[in-house]
Amino acid sequence: MDPRERDRSKKKQFRKKFLFRKKKFCKFCEEKIPYIDYKDVRLLQGFTPERGKIFPRRISGTCAKHQRELMQAIKRARNIALLPFTAD
Amino acid sequence: MVKYESIFIADPGATDDEVAGWVKGFEETIQGSGGTVRKIERWGKRRLAYRVGRHEDGNYTLMQMECPAPTAKELERRYRMNDRIIKYLTVRLDHDIPEAPAEAASAPAAEAPTAPGETE
Repeated sequence: MDPRERDRSKKKQFRKKFLFRKKKFCKFCEEKIPYIDYKDVRLLQGFTPERGKIFPRRISGTCAKHQRELMQAIKRARNIALLPFTAD
Repeated sequence: MVKYESIFIADPGATDDEVAGWVKGFEETIQGSGGTVRKIERWGKRRLAYRVGRHEDGNYTLMQMECPAPTAKELERRYRMNDRIIKYLTVRLDHDIPEAPAEAASAPAAEAPTAPGETE
């Protein structure tokens, strides 16, 4: 392939990837949740996809403060068997 | 006095009367040390997210209380002595005890069938 051609297609891919990205926001800041309850299984499940891992904030967009609280809540929920440590 | 929240999971084979009896005993322990019990919630039988010993299900009970720190320790000691309590968790509440019950507690029946399905 012509190197210039390749360059162009790469650029195109780049644009496709980044042009239409939705702005990320922290769910907890938005909804003004006073604290993240470890007993709220349904909320926490949204942040622990199939494998049961904690969703990274670079993807979920959660702010640092709330990610910390979320981590604490998920770990507590795991301790008391409300959430799985791992799903196999 | 410190605010605590304590959850214990009883053997699902334990009857409601048995669990109620234990809870009463725990309450007396707390009150005997000058503490107060704020809330007791029976969540009933729920599917555990993972197997604990040989148990797949557990009978959840939640207590919120205000008591001196040694009492919370004593409570945990009593959980351990009871061999039909399979798991427990005590956490300090840094925020005020909320008035409204948590969502997880209000809909245990609706959640129980969906939760394990999603985790498998």
